[in-house]
Amino acid sequence: MIETFLGVTVLVCLGYLLLTNLSYVALVVVAFVENGVRRHEEASQDFDVLGESRFTIPVSVVVAAYNEETAIVSTVESLLDLDYPEFEVIAVNDGSSDGTLARLVEAFELEPYEVFARHVFPTENVRAIYRGRTHPNLVVVDKENGGKSDALNAGLNVARFRYVCGVDADTVFDRQALLKGMRRVVEDPARIVGVTSHLTIAENPERVMSAPAGRRPIDRRPFMAYQHLDYLRAFFNNRLAWSRLGFMLCAVGAFQIWRRDVLEEVGGYARTFTCEDIELTFRVHEKFLREGRDYEIHCLPDNVGTTEGPDTVRKLVSQRERWQRVINETVWHYRRMWFRKRYGSVGLIGAPFYLLTEVLAPVFEVLAIVTLGVAVVVGVFDPAVFVVMLVAIAFLTGALTACAILLDDLQSRTYRVRDLARMLVLAPLDLVLYRPVIVWARLLGSWRFLRGDKGWHKFERNVRAPA
Amino acid sequence: MDDLVLRIALVVLAISVPAWALLSVVVVAGRLRYERRHRDPIERPLRAREAERLVRRVAGQPRTEWGRWRRVTALQRLERAHHPAVPRLLRRVLHDPDPKIAAAAIRTLGDVGDDWAIDLLLDALRDGEGSRSRIAAELERLVPAPGPKLVALLRDNNSTVRFWGATLLRPYPDTADATLIELTWDSDPNVRAAAVETLGTRHGSNVETALSARLDDSEWFVRVHAARAVGHVVGVEAAPSLTRLLSDQRWWVRTAAKDALRGMGADAVPSLLATLTHEDLFARNGAAEVLQDVGFVDFLALDNPRSPLLERIYEAGGERFRQAAETRATSADEPAEGVRAA
Repeated sequence: MIETFLGVTVLVCLGYLLLTNLSYVALVVVAFVENGVRRHEEASQDFDVLGESRFTIPVSVVVAAYNEETAIVSTVESLLDLDYPEFEVIAVNDGSSDGTLARLVEAFELEPYEVFARHVFPTENVRAIYRGRTHPNLVVVDKENGGKSDALNAGLNVARFRYVCGVDADTVFDRQALLKGMRRVVEDPARIVGVTSHLTIAENPERVMSAPAGRRPIDRRPFMAYQHLDYLRAFFNNRLAWSRLGFMLCAVGAFQIWRRDVLEEVGGYARTFTCEDIELTFRVHEKFLREGRDYEIHCLPDNVGTTEGPDTVRKLVSQRERWQRVINETVWHYRRMWFRKRYGSVGLIGAPFYLLTEVLAPVFEVLAIVTLGVAVVVGVFDPAVFVVMLVAIAFLTGALTACAILLDDLQSRTYRVRDLARMLVLAPLDLVLYRPVIVWARLLGSWRFLRGDKGWHKFERNVRAPA
Repeated sequence: MDDLVLRIALVVLAISVPAWALLSVVVVAGRLRYERRHRDPIERPLRAREAERLVRRVAGQPRTEWGRWRRVTALQRLERAHHPAVPRLLRRVLHDPDPKIAAAAIRTLGDVGDDWAIDLLLDALRDGEGSRSRIAAELERLVPAPGPKLVALLRDNNSTVRFWGATLLRPYPDTADATLIELTWDSDPNVRAAAVETLGTRHGSNVETALSARLDDSEWFVRVHAARAVGHVVGVEAAPSLTRLLSDQRWWVRTAAKDALRGMGADAVPSLLATLTHEDLFARNGAAEVLQDVGFVDFLALDNPRSPLLERIYEAGGERFRQAAETRATSADEPAEGVRAA
């Protein structure tokens, strides 16, 4: 009886594993097509013309900061240094309890000024607005704490331009980030309502971004390198394909360009979810598809910046459990979209894909670990077969990761050859060195989702050496 | 069960190990090849047979997206080699129904920059082939060459063409002022807005009259452009008209009026002070905001902090306005002399 149960469970888990990996392989094929198209498209673009043209659409860049004293100045400096004809930077201090505001005031010689802005989105009380003499296109909003969504909404109230780019305060941006993001928008501003792009991860983003493209290092620590590979897989293997298939499920919080009128239509960033990015993307899809409107949300393969990654297991678990929670919250909240023809590829492929590969993953992962362990112990399952299966999965992951590395390198030629080689060697070991941490984080996230936890559980920022 | 699992695992292994190994070799070898090429970027001359092949590729009609980009790449390669077939091919590609192909042709025409290329770009602008903003960006980077040819666009029957004509004339001072003034009365508000924006870089009493008339335009975006242009062209004499726009029902117009008044600096102060008692809240706090931005509030806060005038400005601006001004005053040195003179 137990043997039969274990046997069936093992087969179910194996079936799940094969199904998810087959879907990943299918997405990789689509991602290669999308990457090739975008690469050629970029080669035919003249960024110099776009960067100097007064016909390029102005953008308000909004950065929400809560206790970001170690990173905020670098982030704002990189934003002010963007190569773009007309833009403003709105940094929102979301009631930080550390020296975030003081750092900004000191670095950019800010003084309080009153700005009578629109109040399109309700937010917590704004305490003061600062402007500096050195950078007329920088505005700093100091407000009471209300969460990232609330801070972004406060920035939207002050924003002057038709397009808004929400960014994270722990990210250092490439000088051409906005040009790269907006190049798709200017082609068809009536249809393209949202754009996101590829970001990488590092322990110290300033150090990575200070190196020229082609010579940028990847962190030597395997723990950081695996996070880098995780980002590559997420952006290149998944998001590019989603973009191609018309169901971009997440315009990432670290770099998300939206048409302002769309944000106004959907009511801005939602405060009732743990994170804002996935939910907003789903909300835009839901509204536009329900109303039968023509629109596009894109993910581009261009590397637009480097974000700070957690440098300890504890911090990583804290970050990833939050991501798992928000995916669960969003997929569950928009369950009316599942398998509904009305919601096009988002309802028929996108949401079910998330359900299968993200929401249900912790359940199957735990089930597989427990039943396989028991099956081996009670002698239902041969340990040698178990090992062969593990090796097979490890190399399958390795091959998928190698695809992501190839797509990234074809697109940007950013990293040193020796770092690429190291990544390729590390790739098959992901299953044993990195995946267990993620499985634990996802399990924790799912548990907290079931308990209704909506806290951010922000991880402590890394100690950074000067670039 | 072991047997089934083992067979599946072996199949996966048989596929994934070679795939991983092959992809790894492709990544490293491809990158090394790229770097070798990058170190020696000199393009080899185009051989006749290769050129023929590229010409055929450009003239063809690929069905796949991949083929479409090969076509674009071929066109760019021929252009770099100054191949004689390029003008003919560009004419053809420009008419392509695929907007991406047309966009590539537009960029290539901008790279060429010769007289015939400008004519083709202008034709494309008239006929709506490709993105007009992309064409405009290319024409603008070729300044001053297209200048005289742009004037004809102002008389086109299509209002979109008139709009682009008026917009593109901005970098050409003293060109077609009279026609642009006429266009400030165009039936299409977009054309009026473009004409007003371009006239904002010109001078003369006719220009001033035409621009001032548009401050009362029925379309809010024309009023936006008019406010900015009047501030620049008419200067401080337009301050009373601009302060009137501080109570406009549209936020964009109020913002444009504030920007224009801010640009006048301390000269706008008398008109702004007169607006502090306006019945409209937006007008009052807009005036206070500009008085703050031109330094008048800081001047009073340092020079005479108990001044009744300063109190009136604080009343118009509100409590947070007052707090901000007082904070600034504690860290300031001396009142600015320019503001004192005003």
